[in-house]
Amino acid sequence: MYIKAIPENCSGCMVCEEVCSMKHFNVVNRYKSGIRIERKSVVEDLPHICSHGNECNYECIAACKFDAIKKDEKGIVYVVYENCVGCHLCELACPLNAIHVHNKLAYKCDLCGGEPECIKYCSQNALQLVEG
Amino acid sequence: MYVERGCYGGKILFIDLNKGEGKRQAIGDSFALKYLGGDGFGAYFVNKYIDASIEPFSPDNAIIFSAGLLTGTIFPTGGKAAAFSKSPLTNGWAEGVSGGRIGFALKQAGYDSVIIRGKAKKLSYLVIKNDEVVIKDATHLSGMTTRQTAEEIKKDEGNEFVVASIGIAGEKLVRFASIDCDERQFGRAGIGAVMGSKLLKGIAVYGDKDIKVAKPEKMYKLFEDYYEKIVTHPSFQDDGKYGTGEFLEWMNAERGTFPTKNWSEGVFDNRDKINPYYWAPRYVLKNKACIQCPKPCGKAFVLKGDGMLDGVEYETLFSLGSNCGVGDIEAVAKGNELCDLYGMDTISTGGVIGYTMDLYENGLLSKNEIGIEARFGDGDAMIELIKKIAKREGIGNILAEGVKRASEKFGKDAEKYAVHVRGMEPPAYDVRGIKGMALAFMTSPRGACHLRSAAYALELTGKFWKYEGVDRFSSKNKGKEIADMENFMAVYDALGVCKFSRGIFLLDFYDALDAAIGRGFTENELLLIGERIHNLKHIFNIKAGWKREHSKLPDKFRIPIPKGVAKGSYISKEEEKEMLDDYFNARGWGKDGIPKRNKIEELEIEEFMQK
Repeated sequence: MYIKAIPENCSGCMVCEEVCSMKHFNVVNRYKSGIRIERKSVVEDLPHICSHGNECNYECIAACKFDAIKKDEKGIVYVVYENCVGCHLCELACPLNAIHVHNKLAYKCDLCGGEPECIKYCSQNALQLVEG
Repeated sequence: MYVERGCYGGKILFIDLNKGEGKRQAIGDSFALKYLGGDGFGAYFVNKYIDASIEPFSPDNAIIFSAGLLTGTIFPTGGKAAAFSKSPLTNGWAEGVSGGRIGFALKQAGYDSVIIRGKAKKLSYLVIKNDEVVIKDATHLSGMTTRQTAEEIKKDEGNEFVVASIGIAGEKLVRFASIDCDERQFGRAGIGAVMGSKLLKGIAVYGDKDIKVAKPEKMYKLFEDYYEKIVTHPSFQDDGKYGTGEFLEWMNAERGTFPTKNWSEGVFDNRDKINPYYWAPRYVLKNKACIQCPKPCGKAFVLKGDGMLDGVEYETLFSLGSNCGVGDIEAVAKGNELCDLYGMDTISTGGVIGYTMDLYENGLLSKNEIGIEARFGDGDAMIELIKKIAKREGIGNILAEGVKRASEKFGKDAEKYAVHVRGMEPPAYDVRGIKGMALAFMTSPRGACHLRSAAYALELTGKFWKYEGVDRFSSKNKGKEIADMENFMAVYDALGVCKFSRGIFLLDFYDALDAAIGRGFTENELLLIGERIHNLKHIFNIKAGWKREHSKLPDKFRIPIPKGVAKGSYISKEEEKEMLDDYFNARGWGKDGIPKRNKIEELEIEEFMQK
């Protein structure tokens, strides 16, 4: 299961970033969000979000030297915060620009336990849950 | 404790461009609760830090950016920032509210407002990165568009920076130059020219601090409820498909108040192709939203030839469209893009071009004087004049001064055709048939402006909030209505909430503010703060030399609307006087428009208006 972005629909409102950091950490901080919107130009807004192995080869897990990124039985990739030292290796390895380090910790999508808030509150249908 | 626990950045940043340094000052609870944020902080700081008597291009003028109180929370449509200064167009209060992310970024950097004073030694840009402040050389950016400037600064500073920039119009001190941020504009009243006068080409902000709220769970629940309300509201579909120009046909056919050919008519016959119902399906790639907004009214517009923009907004469909008699959407969109890139307010630009065309058609300006033929309906001429204005070439050098100053320069009968209030070119409401809005044009602190009251919807539909049965053709009882609406909208600008949400939220922000800062405000409490803010803006204008006789309507508003459903309607001198008297009375001001002592005391703003 993963979230697929449809950039042609993205309005760049960044509500997804806000609900993500708010739901997980009770604050708004786009640098703690598991999804990032890159406002590239007036007609290009690019959501960056983890594909949980569907469009990559788990490069982050392979790159991590601290056992801080794991995948569960469903293939959902998550950060083990006790182990993360914020070394940026995962960030550098990720081909989807979907994991980011902020203040010595890595942040990425954890799929909210299967019902992602970002999808719920994307009014433009720019995010889709893909089973698989 | 409200500032500490709530969604405030908590500090004000003072930048001195002369010395190239920044200083910080913490804000306290009593200040925050008295002014809320955004417009409230702006009204306070403008009065506190700008000497109203100075020349707007003096280094002593300031540019102030403020984030709304709710900006940076998840409160939907609450992500606005505002810019303030002394206006080079009206010589009075200037403000622009925008959905660009600069307010959001400032909050994440720990600031509610930034106050920029002085003048750089050479063209520069300002970098604010959390606690760091640096002023950098921008001479290589000279002459660049707003878009190029932002791109270049991001290349040097990093993609995550939010950049506010000016184009060549700001550098050339075009008196209605705007500031661009995220392809959204702090458009009106020429704050971009003030930035140009300070040799400040851009402001780059990066902040990565948490924005917390006093009661996160309550805020999340509110967000969920409001989100549902917003996406099921009829305006979600209308704004989504057609943007702010959705009601263009209605304004023409049903209301007869779509200003046309420099305010000669209230119906634009050649409007079919500037109607979003025509162009949105043909040119729009997707919706564009301000930050924090699930209800996008912006449109990613891609021209068939070369060009792209976020637009075209209702106001610009009027200013570069009907007001110039141009019914070609390609020309209007191209003009819109050029204005955005050069950094010029589209409303004032279209106002001054429509004015030029009117003078040409009536033989008061010749082809020789203009440099081109400038007939109504000529899209190429409209675009050519935009270029001349931005670069101050030929007649553009005069037009860049705005309609008022240009009319004084042209002399003869040119003033009869000049449409402005206190130097500001008016927006897309032919107020001859919307009399409450005629009053609002006179009372808005920044000159002819639809947004300080946003009373057009109330007037045109007859009902909003606590008002119903309002007659747009009557000048009776408009004073309290407009004063109430100005107070109402000042609250929105203080909170940073979009005015297009006013029908959804009204003034029901008690729970949102309780969740955001731990202190709810009733409607009456909010209205008192709105009134305080409005009075402070007016006081600044008084100190800058405002007199009652300056709040007057242009001669063209005395001529009856010639056709359409508003045919025959106009504003007489008597009505103008009656409405102003009624308004001053409703405001607790004297007949001269000066606030009375007891009003100043009631609003607790004695420090800004001595006896």
